[in-house]
Amino acid sequence: MAHIPLKETIAEKPVWFATLHVKHKIWTLIVLFTTCLLALLFLGPYIYLLLTSLKPSAEAVSVPPTLWPSQFSLENYIKMFDYLPIGKYFLNSLITAGASTILSVFFGAMAAYGISRFSSITGSYFLLFTLVIRMVPMISIAIPMYMIVKSMGLIDTHFALILVYTSLNVPFAIWLMIGFFDSVPKEFDEAARVDGCSWIGAFIRIILPVSLPGLATTAIFTFMLAWNDFLFSLLMTSTNAKTATVGISEFLTAYNLDLGPMTAAAISFSLPVMIFSFFIQRYIVSGMTLGAVKE
Amino acid sequence: MLVFLVYPIFLLIRDSFYKIDIINPSLREFVGFANYTNSLTSERFLKALWNTVVYIGVAVGFEFIIGLILALLLSNAFKGSQFIRTLLLSPLMLAPLVTGIIWKFMLNDQFGIINWGLYKLGILSDPHQILWLSDSRFALYSTIIADIWLTTPFIMLVLLAGIKGIPISLYESAEMDGANKWHKFRYITFPSLIPVATVALLIRIIDAARTFDIVWVLTQGGPGFSSELLSTYMYKTLTRYGEVGQSSAMAVIFIIILLFLSSFFITKMWSPRRRHS
Repeated sequence: MAHIPLKETIAEKPVWFATLHVKHKIWTLIVLFTTCLLALLFLGPYIYLLLTSLKPSAEAVSVPPTLWPSQFSLENYIKMFDYLPIGKYFLNSLITAGASTILSVFFGAMAAYGISRFSSITGSYFLLFTLVIRMVPMISIAIPMYMIVKSMGLIDTHFALILVYTSLNVPFAIWLMIGFFDSVPKEFDEAARVDGCSWIGAFIRIILPVSLPGLATTAIFTFMLAWNDFLFSLLMTSTNAKTATVGISEFLTAYNLDLGPMTAAAISFSLPVMIFSFFIQRYIVSGMTLGAVKE
Repeated sequence: MLVFLVYPIFLLIRDSFYKIDIINPSLREFVGFANYTNSLTSERFLKALWNTVVYIGVAVGFEFIIGLILALLLSNAFKGSQFIRTLLLSPLMLAPLVTGIIWKFMLNDQFGIINWGLYKLGILSDPHQILWLSDSRFALYSTIIADIWLTTPFIMLVLLAGIKGIPISLYESAEMDGANKWHKFRYITFPSLIPVATVALLIRIIDAARTFDIVWVLTQGGPGFSSELLSTYMYKTLTRYGEVGQSSAMAVIFIIILLFLSSFFITKMWSPRRRHS
């Protein structure tokens, strides 16, 4: 598992600036300054997009550009609905990402529990398989999947996208959850069995509640994969099931001169995600470092 | 689950040996390795392959250097470092598409803030001087800038977790032996980070090879084919030219290259006994 070890590591507690030596003071100031500069460099572009979306529509593409809006306005946010059925696209994203998340977490949890408790060798080979799948470029999978969906007559349906996202996400969900289930002691299941629970009962009543943080991590990752997907939606939808990512990108081709509403749509699409990931970062970090940092 | 991922790959390999009509996929003609030889001898494919290599090399190189600097800076706990770290990690979940849009705006040659900023600083003599996205000399590098911006936080996160895992006792004993900051980095931090860094780099190399969204939004592979990557070229071959067989053959070549590249990664991360140890 990817927990950052709890043993003493470097620089555990912040040190009060006033108590430092002069030499250390200069060093700390340099570190602080560089960090803030780099942080600004990385946050700046997103903040700029946010500010642009709050400018009046004409100012967003004015020459020369302005950094700070001359006046704050929600014009772009109102106009984006005029150009494209953006509300419908957002709903499509929510439906496909939501449904595929529920399915992936459900199947992923069952498979991962089985592998974690009953067959460790299959589990190891399964992990290998998941890694191999991760190496396959999305576009390579997308080509045959497109042909399958087409031959089934499912192009431009929610169902097709849900199916695709679920099949892409399940191996990843299993991979993440094996890690979480392995960290739950086997004694938990055994105690439940002694008390007369079936395996299924033990799983639902004991193991799932205990590994709730793991389930949350998995759900966040599978949801984000589907929510952020662009390629599959671009390939497989045209009008009915088009998701928000493809919808937003259409502003670029259709309304090349009036890009203000596009920034508004991009912000509406991503700001909830940014705020959400700010608050649940603990889960994201544990998911991202899994596999990379061994115990 | 196996069915949904293994079957497509099987189909992909089968299709790569056929010439297929996209309107009516049942009209197919076996052509052997023709799709493969066509791809490998086509200048456009080789150009896309080379661009992909440049993209991976430049993007991952910069991401690693900046990510390492950030991780080292943030490993010094000072008041507010926790907060800055949280802020820096917020873009981790940002859609590549949105990243593309941000940079499309900032790099625009008419109203882009980057050119105007450089003009105000006196670096450029004319705010429309650099056509970031429509000059074939710059287009590929512009897409790389967007990639670096999006994924450096990931490298930083993994390296930071690696640094946090180094026992403090190592540094204390080094200090007793009179080591300075550079010595500590050179002989403790850096060697301890190598395993973590290898994995982080390989994950990024593979993800960079698969990039599609950013390039599609920024340049669609253009102007000309100057920023064409394998992924965008395959997409165009499939949707614009309807060459299912041809694009399948390219996809198979792409998979083989990546698997070859990542076999190292797999042996590093996976061993049948790992879960029991």
